[in-house]
Amino acid sequence: MRFAPSTILLFALAIPSPAFAHASDRGFVLLLPTGHYIVGGALAVAVSFAVLAFVPATALARIWLRRLKLFRLRYDTRILTSLVSFIVLAILVAAGFLGSRDPLSNPLPLTVWTLFWIGLTLACGVFGNVWRWVDPWYGVCRIIAWARGKAGSVPVVLPPPRTPPLKGEGDSETVTLPSPLRGGVRGGGKATPTIKDSTWSYLPAIIQFAAFAWFELVYPAPDDPYRLAWAVALYWLVNFIAMLIVGHDRWTRTGECFSVFFRIVSKLGLLQRTRDGHVSLGLPGAKLLGTASLPLSGVLFVLLALGSVSFDGLMRTFWWLGTIGVNPLEFPGRSAVIAANTLGLAGTVALLAAAFILCVWLGEKLSGAPVGLTRACGLLVWSIVPIALAYHAAHYLVALLVNGQYALVALSDPFSRGWNLFGTADNYVSAGLVMGPQSAWVLWNLQAGAIVLGHVMAVMIAHLIAARLYPRSPTLSQTPLTLLMIGYTIFGLWLLSTPTGA
Amino acid sequence: MSDTSRTASFLRKSISRRSALKGLAATSAVMAGPGFVRYAQAQSSAPIKIGFQAHRTGIGASYGRWYERTTTAAVKAINDAGGINKRPVEIITEDDGTDAKRGPEVVEKFANQHKVDVVYGTLFSHVVIASSPAAGELKIPYYVVSEGHHVASTKMNRYVFQPGITDVKSQIQSTAPWIAANAGKKVTQIFPDFAFGHDHRDYLPPALKAQGAEVLAQIAIPPTETSFTKYFPQIPAGTEVIYHVMVGPAVLTFVKELGEFFGSNRPQLFGFIDSLEAVDINSPGLEFLDGSHFWEGSPRYAQVDDTEAQKAYRAAVGIDDNGAAAGDPKDVSTAAHMFGCWETLYVIKQAMEAAGYQGPQDRAKLVEATEALTEFPEGPEHPQGKKTFNGKIHQCFGSQNISKVEGGKLKVVHKTTIEDGLYEPEGDYTTQPL
Repeated sequence: MRFAPSTILLFALAIPSPAFAHASDRGFVLLLPTGHYIVGGALAVAVSFAVLAFVPATALARIWLRRLKLFRLRYDTRILTSLVSFIVLAILVAAGFLGSRDPLSNPLPLTVWTLFWIGLTLACGVFGNVWRWVDPWYGVCRIIAWARGKAGSVPVVLPPPRTPPLKGEGDSETVTLPSPLRGGVRGGGKATPTIKDSTWSYLPAIIQFAAFAWFELVYPAPDDPYRLAWAVALYWLVNFIAMLIVGHDRWTRTGECFSVFFRIVSKLGLLQRTRDGHVSLGLPGAKLLGTASLPLSGVLFVLLALGSVSFDGLMRTFWWLGTIGVNPLEFPGRSAVIAANTLGLAGTVALLAAAFILCVWLGEKLSGAPVGLTRACGLLVWSIVPIALAYHAAHYLVALLVNGQYALVALSDPFSRGWNLFGTADNYVSAGLVMGPQSAWVLWNLQAGAIVLGHVMAVMIAHLIAARLYPRSPTLSQTPLTLLMIGYTIFGLWLLSTPTGA
Repeated sequence: MSDTSRTASFLRKSISRRSALKGLAATSAVMAGPGFVRYAQAQSSAPIKIGFQAHRTGIGASYGRWYERTTTAAVKAINDAGGINKRPVEIITEDDGTDAKRGPEVVEKFANQHKVDVVYGTLFSHVVIASSPAAGELKIPYYVVSEGHHVASTKMNRYVFQPGITDVKSQIQSTAPWIAANAGKKVTQIFPDFAFGHDHRDYLPPALKAQGAEVLAQIAIPPTETSFTKYFPQIPAGTEVIYHVMVGPAVLTFVKELGEFFGSNRPQLFGFIDSLEAVDINSPGLEFLDGSHFWEGSPRYAQVDDTEAQKAYRAAVGIDDNGAAAGDPKDVSTAAHMFGCWETLYVIKQAMEAAGYQGPQDRAKLVEATEALTEFPEGPEHPQGKKTFNGKIHQCFGSQNISKVEGGKLKVVHKTTIEDGLYEPEGDYTTQPL
């Protein structure tokens, strides 16, 4: 059967009707002195930059790179945890197909959007690359490699098993970089990369992440369990095939977008495990200092990640909805804004990328001793990572707090059969946790704090990278990028304080 | 099947979606057991499947959450009392994303894939309006809980009903006699400049005129506006009542600025609780509303003269005396609207029993049986109050509550009569073929 959507929509617009635009908790934020926070946040970033101009980069790096040895973890359970993860994923996909049709009762959308996309990103950003341990392909690939080896053929799927990485969690360019102010720029320190990144090596990850972001932000029904189950199954399969062809290590390095994303985000993590299993605790972002230059496609990947989260905030604002001609109090649904939001997503990323490259280019000019735009972008883009994580934390905090509770309930009864596997099936989901003026105040302060902290850290990292790139003029060369970061602080705080409607 | 811990948790907290689900799972398990020919020989023991078109995501999600809780509570009550025609009721929830395009897709999925008996529960008007043609073409009864005038306007089709909640035209009209008699006869309206506000702009003036009152000015505020002080000088000096129906995140700012503009010397204020549905009336900035009046479909706060039915309904849905989720006081319910889910499900029950409904082949009979209903007496099935039903326009009519903000609560000071909300029918669905 066919319905003419345009006719229906015209009809819908022609009939007067009640609307239920909820006053929502953004209403409480509108009553807060958010303007003061925005000014204060911008000042905090600017002042950080000014103070850094007087701090010797070497001294700062020395303090920042200090690590506290914790314990030694000899055993590598990656294969086991990965296989468990694969089985859990298979069950979740089955639940997507067979379980409740309600996206707040089915564990698949809750796990994918809340626990995985929000929760795991934060876990990687705080602790380190947790994803390496729960990547649902690794175990299967290892079994296949082992089977092939046993059958007498060459194990082409993976390089021969070895004790697990590696400082930098598998990022071959970051293996050893004791001093960020020496060596890192020109060739990644003493490490010899086993896999060479070319300019466009991250292109598969870019394409996959762009598709993911579009599915999350623009596609009308990303929460629909059945459709999501197809998407997840397809994603797993496509990447599995790619891993069979080029190898797990290589594909997770630049092809599978979550391995890339989590690896990049985990550079902020506090924990680090060395080749011999020593786990140490460091300051956030310390791992970023020693990283090598990303190729152009890697740079674009990081900017895509930040741009997409930014657009997630932007697309709900009155400003954006007004710009695309949609009444925010009467949002017609995602289906009506697919074209506009596709353009908006692409435009946000393009604008951010252009602004970043322009600022780095200006910095090159101001430095007096340019090192090349590609190399400068490839290193300075690491300073974007804390901003991306801050945006992630701030924008998804409320969703994590509420939908995380729904996820706990749903996981205990994945197929809506009345089970109570983990004893959480009867948990009461408290939506009130994030409601009311007090919660709005607390949440706003946490969000604003995250945004400002992320940008201050970005300025610090950019400062140290600039000291490597432009030893003669680290401060002057960083002025354009700092201005961008101040602008992005204002933008981020504005996104969280402006009225939203969709 | 019913362990005590769950019963206790049900009483202590809110209804759990799973209380209903678990019961069904057990029923299915027994039926699927050895020797049981599942439904084949006993059509009458198969569950009645009701497709719940829910706003679980999108702009309607905060309402959808309470519609889901009320639905689950009502279905549990119905099943505990023996179901419909002695068959258990099963709710199948599909999220429509509060999206006009997904609405008809969901209806189609209900009819063709889930093979439900009826579709139910839609709130947002744009989804109702977009989904109704699908319900008509698929000839599946579609019971909405939307409050819109679209069903009663007879611009939908014969399969679309709104029997559990009154429509906005009736609500607005009902309030006019009280406003004219108690608040004042010179009224200025402030409303958002789109369909919701336009309903109030269009329906209130004639209703007030009939009461010897008049609208002095109509101030339309652009929907994206977030600062309102500049509009207040447009309020004429002789205004005795400000009738306000602002919605959206800027409502709190609106009230705060209105308070700053008028200070203690304000005209009477009359609003629709839609502005502050699910928002604590004691929130900062809302102090200015003290002593003002609101329309409420069903009272948010427990009243001293609540009926036993109202008390039982509130306990079953899991809201406390302040209208918040029991045990979660900051989670304020959408009390003014969600009772419509409870009452609509009981209308479906009543109509199915009147039609002797057996399965999808009886859908036309069910439509006729629903149209033949005329009255729903106040009681456990209709805790909001007595209602009449006009089968020609598929719309119920009931009394409205006018509540005063007093001591940080909403106290019902007046209940309108059903007659206050009646109007001339604008058409007749029963002339359409089935």
